[in-house]
Parts: sequence; structure tokens; C-alpha cells
Amino acid sequence: MSQNQSVWTSIRFWRQSAAWVTGFAVILLILLTFDTIGQITMGTDADLKNGITKRVPAPTVINYHIDYKYDQKRGHEVPVIGKKEPFFGKEWSPKEAKELLHLGKLTSQAKNCMNCHTLLGNGAYYAPDLTKAWIDPKWKDMIAMTGSKTKEEAMVKFLMDPSNNATHGRRMPNLKITKDEAMGLVAFLKHMSSIDTNGFPRGFSKGVEEFKAGGTYAH
Amino acid sequence: MLTSIKNNNFKYESQKLGMMYFRVAIVLFGAQLLMGLIAAIQFLVPGFLFEVFDFSVARMVHINALVVWMLFAMIGSVYYMLPDETGIETVGIKLGKLAFWVLTAAIVVVVLVYIFIQIGPGKESTIWLINEGREYLEAPRWADIGIVVVILIFYYNVFFTFIKGRKTGIMTVMVANLLALAGLYLAGMFFTDNISIDQYWWWWVIHLWVEATWEVFVGTLAAYALVKIIGAKREIVEMWLWIEVLMLFGSGILGLGHHYFWIGTPEYWWEIGALFSSLEPVPLVAMFVHVLYDWGKEQGESGSKPAITNTPAMAWIVTNAFGNFLGAGIWGFFHTLPQVNIYTHGTQFTAAHGHLAFFGAYATILIGMMYLGIQGSVGAKRMKATFKSKMAIFLITFGVLGMTVALTIAGYEQVLIERAELGGGWDAFFTAQNLPWYVQAQVWRTIMGVVTFIGFVYLVWDLLTIGKQAQAEN
Amino acid sequence: MLFEKFTDVVPSFWGWLNQGPLTLTIFLHTIIILPMIWLYFKEKKRLNGK
Ligand code: HEC
Ligand code: HEM
Ligand code: HEM
Ligand SMILES: [Fe+2]
Repeated sequence: MSQNQSVWTSIRFWRQSAAWVTGFAVILLILLTFDTIGQITMGTDADLKNGITKRVPAPTVINYHIDYKYDQKRGHEVPVIGKKEPFFGKEWSPKEAKELLHLGKLTSQAKNCMNCHTLLGNGAYYAPDLTKAWIDPKWKDMIAMTGSKTKEEAMVKFLMDPSNNATHGRRMPNLKITKDEAMGLVAFLKHMSSIDTNGFPRGFSKGVEEFKAGGTYAH
Repeated sequence: MLTSIKNNNFKYESQKLGMMYFRVAIVLFGAQLLMGLIAAIQFLVPGFLFEVFDFSVARMVHINALVVWMLFAMIGSVYYMLPDETGIETVGIKLGKLAFWVLTAAIVVVVLVYIFIQIGPGKESTIWLINEGREYLEAPRWADIGIVVVILIFYYNVFFTFIKGRKTGIMTVMVANLLALAGLYLAGMFFTDNISIDQYWWWWVIHLWVEATWEVFVGTLAAYALVKIIGAKREIVEMWLWIEVLMLFGSGILGLGHHYFWIGTPEYWWEIGALFSSLEPVPLVAMFVHVLYDWGKEQGESGSKPAITNTPAMAWIVTNAFGNFLGAGIWGFFHTLPQVNIYTHGTQFTAAHGHLAFFGAYATILIGMMYLGIQGSVGAKRMKATFKSKMAIFLITFGVLGMTVALTIAGYEQVLIERAELGGGWDAFFTAQNLPWYVQAQVWRTIMGVVTFIGFVYLVWDLLTIGKQAQAEN
Repeated sequence: MLFEKFTDVVPSFWGWLNQGPLTLTIFLHTIIILPMIWLYFKEKKRLNGK
């Protein structure tokens, strides 16, 4: 009967509140998940042909030029899918592209790339982030260093024998990657660079030119 | 701790089973530290074990041993507290023991395959038999399925013991939370070509474990331990527990959004992730206040006589209150806003937070539970910290704090040079990695890792001997 | 600048709510807290009514 029975020390009140808040947070998360999964499901080949922007484009994005540019409206860099360009000297059909990407993603897990590198920023911090590896300016040097004609060829050569194509003391080991697997990995990396990551990494490699020109940190 | 299993002071088989889990946990903890040291040395001496036992292998075993020893110690803690809380023996204890041996054998096979086979060709069979290549969830598919079966047995035991026995508030939270914890594992068990969807579900397991269900688990353990060690009042402890559940789940579930800033997911996660995860430290402060408040109060009430029945366990639980708040709360908040995270994402800064948070929030309290188990096994009314207990807690805590500070400095360098100034990428990465201050920080991390390891040696020594000593004193 | 133009790639219900500083989270926090006020008064009645 006493008026000073406080609700704040009532176990019942806290139990009910905990149940409500937890239940509601779970429901919200589920609703948000439906919306998000819808947005990050891969687009189709037709989307690419019609210039429809998808957060995660179809595997056939490997047939296109990919750039990463500042977008005035969104206030950060976004991937820009450009004109068609040959990938390993040809245009890949949707089926072929899908299979190649599948092989690449599978190989990335089988070889455990994520326990040295980060992918989309998640993983290990021993080696460079691979989110935009496809458009890394360093591949220009690597094409010359590996005696290749194209970037994809240089990447395959590097991935198949990284310890003999090393650029730093901290080398990537030879992971016994076959030629097919390496091609798959390059497709996987190219596809990843076309994903809209809301501007991560910011100002990608913007300081590298200065660095090359003998900027502050060049040795 | 070895003798503690043969010891007959336990009234319940369930508690013996708990000790069996603890024993495996501590071995895996040692393996974790050794692997961490190898990986840390490889940062400094890149030729160390190159193409024999590469960084990726050492790191994979490091973090897998971490997750597995914590799960073992968690299962052990539950089997240990179950009869205390319900007042009865665990229902399917024989099945529980069988499950223990199956799980342990499976873990041994998985680790041997990690160490000796390491990687496989880019085929489905690698994912089924060797490793799945997804950080923390590397366990091959066959082991995933085995783990699910064993966890189902465990949950069956907990659930039906709860139904049959006394139903305390602590156990109500435990039973509900364990269901969520076990269920979440399923979100990490499939393959997709879409790396964004892959990471979307991957974080369901990792984040919703460590920042929701594991935290509630720790709240439950702390509640049990406070009642047990300092005789805190059950009504008060249980009220706090519900408040903690409210705040932890209220912030932690949608706080998941702080991992959805840059993986291809929509921009609205910036806001959801930032705001909900910013509230995550609040319950950690509350837990901290709660433990210290109860501690002070109980000590005051009993006057000159020490009220704490197990001082090493209590010391680890107080360290847990600090560590959880510092490692998860402060270090987590440091990088949880998208404005900051766009630069810190995937740098040594993340590693600094990962170390202090896992240690502070989980390692500490689970070690505390081991001490509680030993006290029970020798049937001692009181257990006092020995010199070795003190060396262990001091060196391990100091070592991990030292590693965290070193990694924070390394992370700072990396964020400013590699990310802000050079914009990330291959050359930017190595420019930052080779800066003298960065290298020094890595040296200090390794030294502090050795300190941690020495502390671990003291810990094992103490766990093996403190029981007999307490028995003799009683 | 309180209400900004929609910037995300795909318009969606959640993105639509997310159109200015904190609009989405203030909205979500509010609907989470409101029922707790109701729970509070319900419990207060129960405690003091008996
Ligand atoms: C043992 C650790 C380790 C593993 C595992 C590993 N890498 Fe590397 N990787 C490195 C290191 C170290 C470098 C830097 C090598 C250099 O500069 O010479 C590197 C460089 C690279 C580069 C060039 C860097 C850039 O920014 O473009 C690519 C691409 C790459 N790795 C892809 C992969 C892929 C794909 C996998 C998985 C199949 C993989 N790596 C697995 C350590 C590793
Ligand atoms: C005990 C609780 C916690 C543990 C064990 C923990 C552990 C971790 C670990 C291991 C990672 C790295 C994951 C990876 O390998 O990619 C991580 C990332 C992260 N954590 Fe925590 N964490 C905890 C609590 C928190 C809290 C309370 C916050 C925020 C307030 C937080 C914020 C973050 C953020 C923002 C990241 C992403 C870092 C990045 O972008 O690289 N964490 N956490
Ligand atoms: C002997 C002491 C230790 C050493 C030398 C050590 C070393 C390392 C190294 C080198 C990494 C890889 C980081 C990277 O990718 O760059 C790592 C990762 C990690 N370690 Fe340790 N470690 C030690 C102890 C611990 C302890 C005690 C814990 C927790 C209880 C822990 C938890 C982790 C976690 C969670 C990660 C993953 C971090 C992330 O992805 O952000 N480690 N450790
Ligand atoms: Fe998180």
C-alpha cells in the first residue's frame, strides 16, 4: 500500500522492459536485413548493359573498365563502371563470368587470404587491403616488373609466384595457386573493386604520386 | 587443476565435467599465446618460418584457439554453476561427458589439419575438410556440423536441468541467452560468391556474439560469482542483471550496424551503427559500477573479517569489470563512429581494441571461474591468492595492456600516414609499415607479448598448486 | 541543411527516414523508449494499487 514502492527497483519492470527492447531490436534488425540483402544482392548483366547502378554488380562487370571517383552528390568516392574492355583478352559470357568469380571466391577462402589481408577492410593487418587492389596504381610498375602486357596478366604472375616478385621484405608466400585459380582470384578482386563501399578507402592512393616523386616518405 | 578432476569433493558430476572443460581451455589458451608470439615475430622478422608456417597459419590458430578456449571455458562454467543454481544434478551427464570427448577430439583434428595441411586447392572439398578461410570461422564444414550437434547436447542438458530444478532469475537469463548464442552460429555456415553478403552474415556471428550474447553471458556469470564469492543479495543482483540485459541487447543488437559502414551495405547503417553502438559502453559502465559497489558494500558490512571467500577469483572478476569497460567500452567507442572508422577500419587500431576487449571482457572472468572451480574441487571454504596468483594476474594484465598501448600507437601511425595522408593502397601500406615509430611499436608489442606469456606460465603453475595449498590451510 | 537530399544509391524506406542529422535513430530510439513509459506506469499501478 505504501506510496514509496519504487518501480525502479522492481525486477518485474526491468524484466518486461528487457523483453520488449530485445524483441523490438531483433524485429528491427530482421526488417533492416531484408532491405539490405535486397540492396546487396548482385545485379544482372542487363543492369550493366542498361547502366543501372547496383551496390554489388553482376559478375560480368569484369568485362568493363572500373574506376573510383569522387561523387559530388554523395560526398565521397564511388566506383564508376566505364566502357567495355577485354578481360584476359576476351569478353566473358554471364555463365563464364559467374563460374570464374565462383572459383576466385572459393580460392580466396581455400588459401586463407583473409588471415593476412583485409577484404572490404575486414581480416588481418599483415598485408595491404584488397578492397580496391584491382585499381591500385602500383600494378603499372608490376606490369613492367613481371614482363606482362596487361594488368590481369601481371596479377596472375604475381599471385602464382609472389615470393619471387616481391616488392618488400615482407613477402607474400607461394600458396600453390594454379593458373586457373589465379585468374579466378583476379576476377574476384576486379569484382570487389566495383562494389559500392560508401567511399572506403577514402582518397584511394591519392598520396602515392607525391611519394613517387620523392615526397616526404620516399626513401 | 589436474588433481581437481579426480578429487571427490564435488557433490555433483556436472561440476567435474565443468573442470574437464576448464582443463582443455587452459591448454588452448597457452597454444593461443604461442601462436600470437609467432605472428608478432613475423611482423618484425618477415623471413621467420616463411613458407613453412606463414603468418596466416599462425594467426588462424591464434584466433581460433582463442574462440574455442573461451567457448570451452563458457561451457565449463555453465556445467559448474548449473547444479548450484538449480539444486539438482545435470540431467544427461553421461551424454554430456561423451559430448565433451567428441568435441575435444574434433578440435584436436581441426588444429592438426590447420597446422600440417594449412591450405587446399580452390574447391568445395577444401571448405569441407581443411578450412573455410573466413576469419574466426575457419573451422571446416564437417567440424561446424559436429560443433552444432555437441552444442545441441549441451543445450539439451542445460534446458532440461533448468526445467526440472529450481528456476532462478540468473538461470532464466542464461537459458534464453544460450539459445541465441548457439543459434547465431548457424548464420556463419554457408558459402556465397557475394563477398558483401558473406560479410553481412559473418558479422551476425562475430558481433552478435561478442557484443550481445557473450556480454549477457558474462553478466550472468558475474551475477552468479558475486552471490557465491561475496554473498551479494540475490534480488539486487538479479535486478541488475535484467537492467544489463536491457541495455546490452538494446544497444548491441542494432550496434551491429558499425560493421556495415563499408561492406557494400546502404548508407543508412552509418546512422544506425553510430548511434546504437555509441550506447554500447553504457551497460559496461553499469556493470563496472555494479561489481565495485557490491564489492565495497559487502566488505564494509562484514567489518574486519574478510568477506571474500576466493580472493584470486574476485581479483579476476574486478579486472573483468575494468577490462570490459576499457577494452570494449573505451577502445570500442574510439573507432565506432563512421567519421573515424573510415580511417581506422582494418588497421592496427582494430587489433588494439580486439586484444583488450577479448581479454578484458572474457579471458578475465573465465579465469576467475576456473579459480572458483578449483576452490569447489578441494572443498575449501576460503581460498587466498598466492604469490603465483598475484604474479599471474599482474603480468598477464600488464602484458595485454602494454600490447594494447603499443598497437594503439602503431594504429595511430598507420591511420595518419597510410590512410589519411597517402590514401591507402599497396605503397601507402608499406610506407606506414616501415616507419621507425611503427616498427618500434611492433617491437614493444612483442615484448609485452612475452610478458603476457610469462604471466600465463605463473597462471598455470598456480592453477595446478593452489588447490592443495587451500586444502592444507582449511 | 536539416533535411538533406536523399543521397544513397537505392531509395528505400529506411533510407527515406535517414534524411537529416539523426532522424532515423531519433525515430527508432523514440519508438523503443515510449512503450517503456507505459510499462513503468502499469507497474507503478500494480505496485501501489495492491
Ligand atoms: C601469409 C600472408 C599472405 C597470404 C595468406 C596472402 N597474402 Fe597477398 N600479400 C602478402 C604480402 C606480405 C604482400 C605484399 C607483397 C609485396 O609487396 O611483395 C601481399 C600482396 C598481395 C597483393 C598485392 C597488393 C595490392 O595491394 O594489390 C595482392 C593482390 C595479394 N597479395 C592477393 C592475395 C590473395 C588473393 C591471397 C589469397 C589467395 C593472398 N594475397 C594471400 C601476404 C599474404
Ligand atoms: C567485449 C566486447 C567486444 C569484443 C570482444 C570486441 C572485439 C572486436 C574484434 C576482435 C574486432 C575486430 C574484428 C575483425 O577481426 O575484423 C572488433 C571490431 C570492432 N569493434 Fe569491437 N569488441 C567488443 C566491443 C565493442 C564495443 C562496445 C564497441 C563500440 C562501442 C566496438 C566497436 C568495434 C568496431 C567499430 C569495430 C570495427 C573495427 C574496424 O572497422 O576495423 N566493439 N571488435
Ligand atoms: C602473447 C601474447 C599475444 C601476442 C604476441 C599476440 C599477437 C597477435 C597478432 C600478431 C595478431 C595478428 C594481428 C594482425 O592481423 O595484424 C593477433 C590477433 C588477435 N589476437 Fe593476439 N596476441 C597475443 C595475445 C592475445 C590475447 C591474450 C588475446 C585475447 C584474449 C588475443 C586476441 C587476439 C584477437 C581477437 C586478434 C584478432 C584481432 C583483429 O582481427 O582485429 N591475443 N594477435
Ligand atoms: Fe561490433
